[in-house]
Amino acid sequence: MPDVIVDAQHVGRAFAMPAGPVHAVRDVTLQIRAGDHVAVRGPSGCGKSTLLHMLGCVDAPSSGTLLFDGRDVATLSDARRSALRLTRIGFIFQRFFLLPMLTAAENVELPLSEAGASKRDRQLRTKELLDYVGLSARADHRPSQLSGGEMQRVAIARALANRPQLLLADEPTGELDEATGAQIAALLDRVNADGTALVIVTHDHTLAERAARVLTMRDGCIEQETRQ
Amino acid sequence: MNALAFAWRSLVRQPARATLGVLGVAAVGALLFDMLLLSQGLIVSMRDLLARSGWDIRVSAGDLPGRGGRVSAATSTAERIAALPSVKAALMVRVANAQIERSGGGPPIGDAPSIGGGPPIAAVFEGIGGRSRHREPIAPPWTVVRGREARGDTEVVIDSAIAAAANLQVGGTITLRASCVSDREALPPARLTVVGIAEFPFAGTNEDAIGGSLDALKAACGGNVGDEADLLLVTSVGEPAETAAAIRAEIPHLNALTNDQVVGRLQQTGFTYFRQISAVLTTITVSFAVLLIAVLLTVSVNQRLGEIAALRALGFSRWRVVTDVLSESALIVGSGGILSLPLGLLLASGLDRILKEMPGIPADLHFFVFERDALFTHIGLLVATAVIAALYPMRIVSSLPIAATLRDEVIG
Repeated sequence: MPDVIVDAQHVGRAFAMPAGPVHAVRDVTLQIRAGDHVAVRGPSGCGKSTLLHMLGCVDAPSSGTLLFDGRDVATLSDARRSALRLTRIGFIFQRFFLLPMLTAAENVELPLSEAGASKRDRQLRTKELLDYVGLSARADHRPSQLSGGEMQRVAIARALANRPQLLLADEPTGELDEATGAQIAALLDRVNADGTALVIVTHDHTLAERAARVLTMRDGCIEQETRQ
Repeated sequence: MNALAFAWRSLVRQPARATLGVLGVAAVGALLFDMLLLSQGLIVSMRDLLARSGWDIRVSAGDLPGRGGRVSAATSTAERIAALPSVKAALMVRVANAQIERSGGGPPIGDAPSIGGGPPIAAVFEGIGGRSRHREPIAPPWTVVRGREARGDTEVVIDSAIAAAANLQVGGTITLRASCVSDREALPPARLTVVGIAEFPFAGTNEDAIGGSLDALKAACGGNVGDEADLLLVTSVGEPAETAAAIRAEIPHLNALTNDQVVGRLQQTGFTYFRQISAVLTTITVSFAVLLIAVLLTVSVNQRLGEIAALRALGFSRWRVVTDVLSESALIVGSGGILSLPLGLLLASGLDRILKEMPGIPADLHFFVFERDALFTHIGLLVATAVIAALYPMRIVSSLPIAATLRDEVIG
């Protein structure tokens, strides 16, 4: 299965609580392949974000196995997981998490810098990405000078900086109005169409319906998988 | 963007907080620098002062020069010391309190000297008498800056403060009473000719001084001076420590100390207080700086947990986010530390002036002396402050649970 990026087999994630362990994710088996477009939906607290974090190697399953590019995430050191996230995975957050003291271009440049790209490569790639998300004219603006939609587009450009195989989005339209959300959804479609596998956690039906696979979660389990 | 540049942008993002931190470190750093200058300042200054005086050995009846009783049979003692093969010259120093009339004075009022030009000027009269094996001229413990050296029993040199206060010039005459035995003596005034203006390095900041021969002092004291000396100053031809040992062997009841031994004694006794105060205040100031920076960084980090977790999710290593925090600490402490140096020197100069007002402190002695070692210690302590202050916030970011923080930020 050379095109499988993430292979999750019976993964679970339990959190220790004073009243006993809470199982946020239970026995999930899932594969994400190159070019996939997957939406994960379900009620609040059903384990969507926890699953996304495990797929993105920011959290490790407490049961089952999760392979990323064939490597067992649980056996990787923190440094190796960081390197994996930096070069193979992109993240988009509901609250954007752009750094307010940096310009849009500098925010996009950050992961490139961390990956050790040369200054020239960073500048070229940043310009390319800002063109891609339609924000070339706003390159020198700080987040506080951008609208919510523009901030999310900068966040998408930042997530794509190191050409990841997999882009993970946690409620990417959660803080945007309907029209702006639709623009972001269209941009994400384009990212996916250009070859990046996309997994979106969302409450937004419109956004979920654009995905080829929709996973519906309940109580930590995948209740239903729909292919569209 | 490297960690330092990133830290700089993080600081600039909150200019008020950064300024507060830098100013706080500058103030605390200035105090720290001053305490380091104080810890060794007196020792360094005293060593320098003794070395500049040109005398290798000080002989006294007490454990330290200026303490304890006087050296009795001073003339024969000086002769015995001067006769030692390793001794070049020995100088007896006798000190008496004196009251100088101001010029244009009228008749005396009661016990006080005549004070037509104002109240009498209190001064210290240093009388000297030397013994040299080869009859070479012996330098006095003062430096004539105008006029010439005093000779015989009618000439003196005075410091510039007396000259100004009593409106005296070289060649003028002063009328004074000196008390060689007791301050309650009622002696007739003596008239002495001022032949020079001199600097007295061991005179206190607010202490006026007169210098002359033992005979001049005897004249000023109405002849009421025994054969005693407060101190004997000795120059050696060889190793001072060996000469001092030879003097102690020759005259066992006296204390003969080289300059280094005097400094060593002072280090163990009087100057210890300053070192202890300095050590306590250094510890307090460093602790305060650590707390200040630790609080500022911790607050700053706690406000940015979401951003830090997002950076970690994007692939920033744990080491990188820790380095960012350490760099912020280094920038605050570094900037404040640079400011602390001129501020500390300025403060040291003011404090030195205040402390030198204490009675009995030689005008040429300084409490705060700049030393390269103090600067290096200052830098070392600031580096340690930056690292220690950053430890807790570094721990926060290094152990930050990425997923839980991102979840909490969204819920929050």
